[in-house]
Amino acid sequence: MALIPIRDILANARQESVQLQHHYLGVEHLFIAMLQIRGGITASLLEEQGLHAEYVMDAVRRRAEKGTAQRLWVGIPYTPRTLIILDIANDLAADAELPESTEREILSAILAERDSLPIRVLKRLNVDIEKLIKSAQTYTPIRDSQPLDIRVEFGDLFDPHESIDGEQLFVLRRIFNEYTRIRVDRRLTGFRNALILVVTPIQADGREDSAVVVKIDQSDNILDEYQRYESFVKMALPLQTARLEDRPVAPESSRLAGLKYTLVASGGAPPLDLRTRVQMLGTGGLGGMLHRELYEQFRRAWWQQKRPYRFQAWQEYDWLMPPVLTIDVCEPEELPANPFSLRVPVNRARLNTKMKFLQCGDPIVIENFVVQRIDRDNGVLKLAAGYGAEADKRAYRIDVRGCNFEKQTYYRGQTLDRVVGKVWKTRLEMMADAMVELEPDFDFSARTIPCGDLQLPNPILLYEDMLERYVNGSMSKIHGDMHLGNIIAGPNQSLWLIDFGQTRDGHTLFDWASLEISMLGDGVMPLAGVRWDIARQILACVAAISSRQPMPLENISLLSAMSTVSTIRDIARECLTTPDDWSEYFIAVALCALRAITWKSMPLGGRRLMFLLSGLAIHEVLNQENPSGEKPSADPSVPMTDRFVFSVPGLTPPKTELLSDEENFTLRDKRRDKKL
Amino acid sequence: MLDLMIMSGVDDGLQLHYRTDNSDGQWETEANRWLISIGRREDSDLCLRNDSFVSRLHAYLRWEQERWWLQDLKSTNGTFVEAGDEDARVTGTIPIEPGEMFRVGHTWMRIQNESTLT
Repeated sequence: MALIPIRDILANARQESVQLQHHYLGVEHLFIAMLQIRGGITASLLEEQGLHAEYVMDAVRRRAEKGTAQRLWVGIPYTPRTLIILDIANDLAADAELPESTEREILSAILAERDSLPIRVLKRLNVDIEKLIKSAQTYTPIRDSQPLDIRVEFGDLFDPHESIDGEQLFVLRRIFNEYTRIRVDRRLTGFRNALILVVTPIQADGREDSAVVVKIDQSDNILDEYQRYESFVKMALPLQTARLEDRPVAPESSRLAGLKYTLVASGGAPPLDLRTRVQMLGTGGLGGMLHRELYEQFRRAWWQQKRPYRFQAWQEYDWLMPPVLTIDVCEPEELPANPFSLRVPVNRARLNTKMKFLQCGDPIVIENFVVQRIDRDNGVLKLAAGYGAEADKRAYRIDVRGCNFEKQTYYRGQTLDRVVGKVWKTRLEMMADAMVELEPDFDFSARTIPCGDLQLPNPILLYEDMLERYVNGSMSKIHGDMHLGNIIAGPNQSLWLIDFGQTRDGHTLFDWASLEISMLGDGVMPLAGVRWDIARQILACVAAISSRQPMPLENISLLSAMSTVSTIRDIARECLTTPDDWSEYFIAVALCALRAITWKSMPLGGRRLMFLLSGLAIHEVLNQENPSGEKPSADPSVPMTDRFVFSVPGLTPPKTELLSDEENFTLRDKRRDKKL
Repeated sequence: MLDLMIMSGVDDGLQLHYRTDNSDGQWETEANRWLISIGRREDSDLCLRNDSFVSRLHAYLRWEQERWWLQDLKSTNGTFVEAGDEDARVTGTIPIEPGEMFRVGHTWMRIQNESTLT
């Protein structure tokens, strides 16, 4: 039976003290807090002697008398007697080899000390103290004791349609177990299943402490994030920023855990993530803030470390793409004699060839892949190669559907010798599905996408080529998930990073490519709209930024939003490994943008722009690599639109082959099925 | 010597030691008399600054005729001793035994058992 730990009792005792206007933590408050525990030892033992807990509480309160509103000291100090009793309780806990004292030890200590106000009250109520002492040592409550709830309130800015489920609330209360009341000010826009909240803890006397950012997610993710913070982030933060000061709270009885980011020197208005800030206040001044408060503050320890790093793009970017394969798990007996097998280490050339012919229902054997994440809700096991450095070990993602987690236990980091299944979807099909949502009549086999009078390469056909490319880049400490939702606007326009779940040493420009994607998708497009022609117009502006041309825009708020993108490009310029060689950035943008077309959380307009942006970025990469005489990319004297003409002869032949007609047929068939 | 223990409030559990040869209180050797002042005033022998129900000069504890006496000095909120379920207000001077609880303002205290001048 779990007994209530000392910190929960102290929290309730403080609340009692404030209600009595005592403002000190005396034995009487401890005792009342223990009586308030439903099914607790103190209440149960007194009931045995014929005294109802409520009655005893009232008697203690009457004896203690209510204080005055006037405060004669600060804080809620412990009385000398409380300190003695907590000392005794600690010794008792140590004797019992407990990590901390519980209700039992505190009650025993109060009874052993014999001299406190509640003991005087009990004596007056003719309680048999000796009997209490004896039974306190052995009594076991029938049910788990329940402490008083920490009251959770919701601020005006919290969207009432958002809900926090019971398990998340449980973890939330555990994080703030030293308080009696907290206010959830708002939910920060996060991705995946993580719950990210701004919470103001409230002291027992109603004073509010500084707001903090709380993240609640599956416990392995939270513990991993904490580990990353400890090894990558802790020593590399500017003076004023969000920090993790406490260890994560991971209750044994829950699969969730929580982290608390303290926001130093916060005060006044609750902190705001940039995505919400952009929605509420627009983008005015945002570019300057990003440069001054984010880049300048963090760059020394982060993006300006820049160690030379030559890598194949897939090593850093493959894991961003949809899973290479999604398979349905099946029984080994169902397999034919020689199924296609995919094993770690992956033979990339073989995989690429094979992938073109895999179809829904094809049997497949997966060997030596490593568990990355366990999606219990959907019964999906997320695997990756788990081989190599930080990012490339997350490459070759494979989702295994239909796993029975009841029957078999899996843990993150586990290597699975062999998983047999049948192909459900390939990466290409996942992309195709996402594209159908953007444009039902999209022609997957088209080499170019018309963009006004421009022709852009089709990213669906060329992303493999991008992944194969070698990048002469640099490696730095990067945030790894730097979108507007993970940047917090603190007081005095300061900007802080939160959510270090993906922080690692990696391609320096990844963070800025991600932020550009986020700014365009979450900041610009919601202002502009969802139509393709609008996406094309915004794309022309992005192209204008690349060539340092004035943007063809008149709308002031759009211009302001686009100037933020321009600032991000300025920062990216400072992070380039070879000055003015933008290809490493455009490869990152091409792949990050393509990833974003599959994000359901990004508005449709944003995803459409992402598709075009991916095409534009690929175009820039190809152009930079093979600048043909008639289309000089860097010559500002040539009108922008001319540089956009993308003709097939100018295209470097992609290393992967284009889809055969037969494969195309399969894809189109799928689409037709979908429409029906 | 006099050992006092505070029995309630923010100073609950605090032990105070007074000694005649340490110029605590007013000690008259000839009469074998000792006077300990209790009040909120800073120069009180026992200063209860944390209890706003205590008057500036609230009460005396006196050693006279080989025993302890408690004298209320017409305090606003009174001096009390335990008496059954109700507390009894002290008027003038009453004898007080070591171990017996008394209350000055809202602060309970008691003379510890070993407190004697012999």
